[in-house]
Amino acid sequence: MTQVVLKWIGLFALCFVLQSTLVQAMKIVSVGPDLLMLALFFLGIAYGPLAGLYVGFFLGLSQDLYSPSILGLNALSNTVTGFFIGLFNERMMRTDPLLKAIILMMAFILHDSIFSIAQVLKTSGSFGHAGIDLLVRTIPRGMYSAALLGLYYIYDFYFKPSIRR
Amino acid sequence: MQWIFQFIFRHRAVSSLFLTVVLSLLMLSATAARQQQVARALMMTIFYPFQFTLSLTSNVRNSFSENKKLRKEVAALTNQLAQYRQEAAENARLRTMIEFSDSMPIDLLPARVVLREPAPNYRSIAINVGSKQGVKLSMPVMTYHGAVGKVMQVMPHFSLVQLFQDPSCRVSVMVERSRGVGIMGTDNGHDFSFKCRSHIEVAKGDRVVTSGLGGVYPRGLDIGGVTGVVEDANPLFKKVSVRPYADLDRLEEVFVVRIQPQWAAFPQEADSLELHE
Repeated sequence: MTQVVLKWIGLFALCFVLQSTLVQAMKIVSVGPDLLMLALFFLGIAYGPLAGLYVGFFLGLSQDLYSPSILGLNALSNTVTGFFIGLFNERMMRTDPLLKAIILMMAFILHDSIFSIAQVLKTSGSFGHAGIDLLVRTIPRGMYSAALLGLYYIYDFYFKPSIRR
Repeated sequence: MQWIFQFIFRHRAVSSLFLTVVLSLLMLSATAARQQQVARALMMTIFYPFQFTLSLTSNVRNSFSENKKLRKEVAALTNQLAQYRQEAAENARLRTMIEFSDSMPIDLLPARVVLREPAPNYRSIAINVGSKQGVKLSMPVMTYHGAVGKVMQVMPHFSLVQLFQDPSCRVSVMVERSRGVGIMGTDNGHDFSFKCRSHIEVAKGDRVVTSGLGGVYPRGLDIGGVTGVVEDANPLFKKVSVRPYADLDRLEEVFVVRIQPQWAAFPQEADSLELHE
């Protein structure tokens, strides 16, 4: 159990570091993948909504602390997103990679929607800009991350020794 | 009371969601000052290890970018330094040339080498002075070490100089100590020699200067030092090897000696004596 917890902490820490370093170099037309969301997705899928929401909460909180945003914005959106992903956990149902990619896209949209709404309400901003952001940033970011997810499943299916057919 | 805990435990996922969402909303609704206070408290406690790791990676990242920037700066400064060194060396050479020019009784025109014959042993060079500056055909060319050749072609702003390395170039020379004369030349562009009468006293280290007899070079210009003396097949002569004082492979600045050739009155005869010997 301790090993599993440490493994996930290590994974999230690694994603945190990579997100602020490597991902900057992986950007295509200023769109890069969200490794933290991918890690949260894998965790939620594996351990369910309870783990998803707590990890999402702390992950969001740490993002709030380390990025110049309003405290609680990422915490709220990641909590709900982690819970949402956890609803599709593998203990409840088996899902194929395509469905998982769709769930990931929905998670991105949900996350950014909550984030944008909370931000607009907090800063008295415009919902129009938030909607445009959702189209021009969230969907490409989600697609990029879904592509990485696809690559992972291809690796998992064809190259991982334990899944040899 | 117990049923409340049982209810929460039974619906722990939803309860947790409610709790965390409420916590997040509380943080969101707090004032900026309060948010900073909470953030500081969280940073100092729960997130310290992550903060430490992140700051470490951030430092490494900064070091990489700083290293890259410093490399660029070092490259630029190295180039600048090389340029300064080159300019300093050139300055020293020019100072020497000026001093030399002042001490020489003859009219010297300083010139810069702008082109070399594209061959390992280049036999001619182009200099940046020509007829507009008063350069004429067959004027001697020298450095402050000594003579190096003569002008073989003149254009308005450039001139072509035939160096001693050209096997077709001959120069009338004289051993300074014993006044023995000969015509110095080379067969391969490296080894220079002349023949003089066998009774003339010549030794290794003797100074060889222009004799002034050829009509092109004035008497007494340094040529080189004697590096060896061997008996010739003809017992009447001996062969004297000479190493020029001027480094003919590294000429950068030269002087054109502005004197009229002595043979101007009888050019055809002079050509047969010196130019095509």
